[in-house]
Amino acid sequence: MRGQENKLFAHIDWGLLSVYFILVFLGISNVYSSVFDPDNPGLFSLDTEHGKQIMWFGVSLFLGIVIFFLESNFIRKYAYWFYGFTMLLLIAVLFTSPINGARSWFGFGGVGIQPSEFAKIGVAMALARFIDQNSSSKESRSLKNVSGLSTLWGIIPFILKNKETALILGLPCVLVLLQPDAGTFIIFTSFLLVLYREGYAGNILLFLVIAVIIAVITLLVADTNFMFLFTKIKLSGNAGIIIVLVLLAGIFAAIIRSFVMKRNRKPLYRSLIGSFLIAVIFVNFVEIGYTNILQSHQKERIDLLLGKIDDPDGKGYNINRAKAAIGSGGFMGKGFKSATLANASQRHVPMQSTDFIFCTWSEERGFIGAFVLVGLYTFLLLKMVVMAERQRSVFTRVYAYCVASIFFYHFMINVGMAIGLAPVIGIPLPFFSYGGSSMMSFSVLIFILLKLDSERKVVLQ
Amino acid sequence: MRNIENRKYVIALIFLIIPLIFIVRLFYMQVVDTQWKERAAQISENRITTYPARGIVYDRNGVKIISNEVYYDIHVIPKQTNNTDSIALTKLLGISMDEYVSKMNKARNYSRRKPSELVRQIPPNEFSVIAPELYKYPGFFEVARTLRVYPKKIAAHVLGYMNEANGTDIEKDSYYKSGDYIGRSGIEKMYEKELRGQRGVKYYLQDAIGLSTGKYENGDYDTLAVQGQNLSLSIDWELQAYGEKLMQNKLGSIVAIEPATGEILAMISAPTYDPNLLVGRHLGANYGALAEDTLLPLQNRSLNSAYPPGSIFKTVMALIGMQEGVITENASFPCNKALAGCHNHPTAMNVSDGVKMSCNPYFIQLVRRIVQQGKDKSIFKDAAIGLDIWAKYVRSFGIGTDLQVDYPTNVHGNVPDAAYYDKHLNFRWAFSTIQSIAIGQGEVLITPLEMANLAAILANRGYFIPPHFIKSIDQGEIPEIYRTKKYTMVDSAYFEPVIDGMWRVVHEDGGTARRARLDSIAICGKTGTVENFKRISGKVYQLTDHSNFMAFAPRDNPQIAISVFIENSGFGGTWSAPLASLMIEKYITGTVADTAKENRILNANLIPDAEDIIRK
Ligand SMILES: [Zn+2]
Repeated sequence: MRGQENKLFAHIDWGLLSVYFILVFLGISNVYSSVFDPDNPGLFSLDTEHGKQIMWFGVSLFLGIVIFFLESNFIRKYAYWFYGFTMLLLIAVLFTSPINGARSWFGFGGVGIQPSEFAKIGVAMALARFIDQNSSSKESRSLKNVSGLSTLWGIIPFILKNKETALILGLPCVLVLLQPDAGTFIIFTSFLLVLYREGYAGNILLFLVIAVIIAVITLLVADTNFMFLFTKIKLSGNAGIIIVLVLLAGIFAAIIRSFVMKRNRKPLYRSLIGSFLIAVIFVNFVEIGYTNILQSHQKERIDLLLGKIDDPDGKGYNINRAKAAIGSGGFMGKGFKSATLANASQRHVPMQSTDFIFCTWSEERGFIGAFVLVGLYTFLLLKMVVMAERQRSVFTRVYAYCVASIFFYHFMINVGMAIGLAPVIGIPLPFFSYGGSSMMSFSVLIFILLKLDSERKVVLQ
Repeated sequence: MRNIENRKYVIALIFLIIPLIFIVRLFYMQVVDTQWKERAAQISENRITTYPARGIVYDRNGVKIISNEVYYDIHVIPKQTNNTDSIALTKLLGISMDEYVSKMNKARNYSRRKPSELVRQIPPNEFSVIAPELYKYPGFFEVARTLRVYPKKIAAHVLGYMNEANGTDIEKDSYYKSGDYIGRSGIEKMYEKELRGQRGVKYYLQDAIGLSTGKYENGDYDTLAVQGQNLSLSIDWELQAYGEKLMQNKLGSIVAIEPATGEILAMISAPTYDPNLLVGRHLGANYGALAEDTLLPLQNRSLNSAYPPGSIFKTVMALIGMQEGVITENASFPCNKALAGCHNHPTAMNVSDGVKMSCNPYFIQLVRRIVQQGKDKSIFKDAAIGLDIWAKYVRSFGIGTDLQVDYPTNVHGNVPDAAYYDKHLNFRWAFSTIQSIAIGQGEVLITPLEMANLAAILANRGYFIPPHFIKSIDQGEIPEIYRTKKYTMVDSAYFEPVIDGMWRVVHEDGGTARRARLDSIAICGKTGTVENFKRISGKVYQLTDHSNFMAFAPRDNPQIAISVFIENSGFGGTWSAPLASLMIEKYITGTVADTAKENRILNANLIPDAEDIIRK
């Protein structure tokens, strides 16, 4: 029995496990504080959100123990099966009746389950499995070389030559967009970080940064007009960007002409034209997406973030209340159970126990608390990178990066939204936002990682 | 492959940079920038002001003359309203649908979360019908506010009125907020700070729809409302009411002072009005009507108008002459009608005679001795020196000076001195030019209050205490100046002959105020007549004279000093003197014995009509 125990919990990363427990503890205490009702102060009542959260934590621990009794090979072997199962759930959920305009929930007698939370685990496992399999075959080496193209032009061959990867990622993306759930869709784009680490499309991050800059500029000038220099011709903001892109292309062409030897010019010209075309297509794509595809409330959220509209008591109500709650926390915070804005009884900050839970924490714990929380997440993320990098198993490494990327996106978007640096997207802050599905899925992500990591030496044998 | 290995650093860097940006942003939002704290307070805190009850005002005998009554304003918080049955509500509140719609729109435009006023000042009897129905209309609620009520309906001019603080008031004193009431005239204005008390503030936390969810910081910042201080005035409400009754259908004023204390017992300005007219919802309309009345009912004639004193001024002349040593009490001057008009009377053999007979030439010759004392060879320079000495004496009687009465006024009488005539006359002047001042005509002006104060000085034989309304503030002491005697420049020894003359004015045959005589009380008085000119379309007409009378009683140990001024009533002895005697009798004995005399006054209508002007 003793040997069994030793084997089961041997080589566990206690650091990660500790941060997990600390975050869960702080998270539940914070939900308790945010929904605290002096008339009904019970801690363990299942009628309260914190009571339910404690229950979900118990379920998560149970799942964790089950995972620890599984063999790592079992997890690897059945990765696709699990992925397939979660995809079926995503398809099945589309046949439920919508709640708040989206088909995202399965209801089981008062308990709601969000399959998209579990789909993250499925995608992480499938992606890890797929890259693991390919890394051991010769075919994948050439594939990597192709995908390592140094130009943006390479994005199209990249997608064509990695049909399987595109499928693994694309299927859940399409399914969550059908719900529709833009927040989870954005989370799925976090796997691009994993692909980057695994050697796909080297400039994908640079590409992302440039794309974000161009997108922001395009959105800023969307629906605007300006007078073309020295003339009376009225042009749309969109046309202005394209004019600037033409000018930039001309400048780069001139630079190439002046500084690059003639025989090397040809591929550079080709890249330049390719990049230019992609940029023009992208600008139009963003603009059409913004004006024609986005729903009006999504457009408003973007406009609010970019400062195009200012309406603190109307369209900007949520974010204005959220920022006021956080800002009013000051250096030391107002104290436990003392939030006057992000509190269930005051109701100034909407969704204060779920999407805007960071407000309660920051209002009650102040800058000190916010600093500690951001620090804990940073530690968690870096810990995961360290754990990923110490693996000899490609599966575990890719899986660890998947988990890190998912946590990073949730953290970045949720906190960024609350402090006005990201648009309002309803996704939970891991272990802090109230919600059973997210508590379980984030816990399972961590427990699988712990399990896989604990056997890193076994793989060596 | 090395290249790809290094990508872990890029990812770690991203995992560091984003949190770092968040930390900087959070530090800025939570520690550096104060705008979010202000915004949070704006969103989550609410202050509720508690208004203290304004101080109650009593008369000298402890009878309430100003009290408070609770009125109700109906307010609305647009966000809390829910399916309002506007037809039933407008019916209940007694407002028109148009008014309701426009007020609701205004309220919504102002704020959806904050209360706005819908109906103002519903009296308690009307509100008792509304109160049990109001719960059916969420978002609508009553705000109690106390308004003034004047139970005795007297002394409108003295007590003053209140209305809403305007921009200037708010700018001057940050205590006031829009919608507050402020004393606008009279005692309400003068003792505003004492009466208003101190507003209390309670800070509440409010939820998203503006409902209170608890005290802010355990109420540490809350302040309690402090009740306004109660005042006791020197006014005797029964005497005041009696005076107002006597002055009905007359224009003019009565001022009665207790000589020993300077306390004003009554101050009547006719015509008067019910002070309750200037309270509540109808204040604006009533004020407008009173302001348009050609008889100027809003004007306090006792304080805010100055007239030539006429013959009553002669008492002061005699006193100055004796003090200055230019005459003795046995001085006699012939009734030289070349100097001034006079009636037929025996020659005045002494000061007492002069006062009793009110001989104009007597006093012109007397004052010439004061003004032209021969201190300079030039009669002009001599007159200037003498006039300034004279003016200083006169002012020591409070005439033409600030009497420091506790009433918002800046009207004083006028005592001309050398500088005054140098300024107003474009030729050299000596006493003969200005001699009408000796008989209280010309440039000398006196207010009815100064006249009553003069009567008090005579009663006190040489001093006065600045006349005042305040008797006590919350049972406490009154200001030092209202307890301090101010002496005139005339020694008390010189007063007896003048007082003797004044006694004879009332009590001897041939006196001008025989109608003031009472069997029980020795009254000392002096009548006066003030010529009344009126300029009508460029032409000056002489109208029926104004008459006045000043008196004190009893002669020994006086209890009341009084001045009566009645416009267009002719000779002072006819109306003013008997009216004063009724007041004196009422105050000292509590009753009036001679009802015929009383009825004669009550039934007299001395308000001039248009024909009066044409007749003259
Ligand atoms: Zn005479």
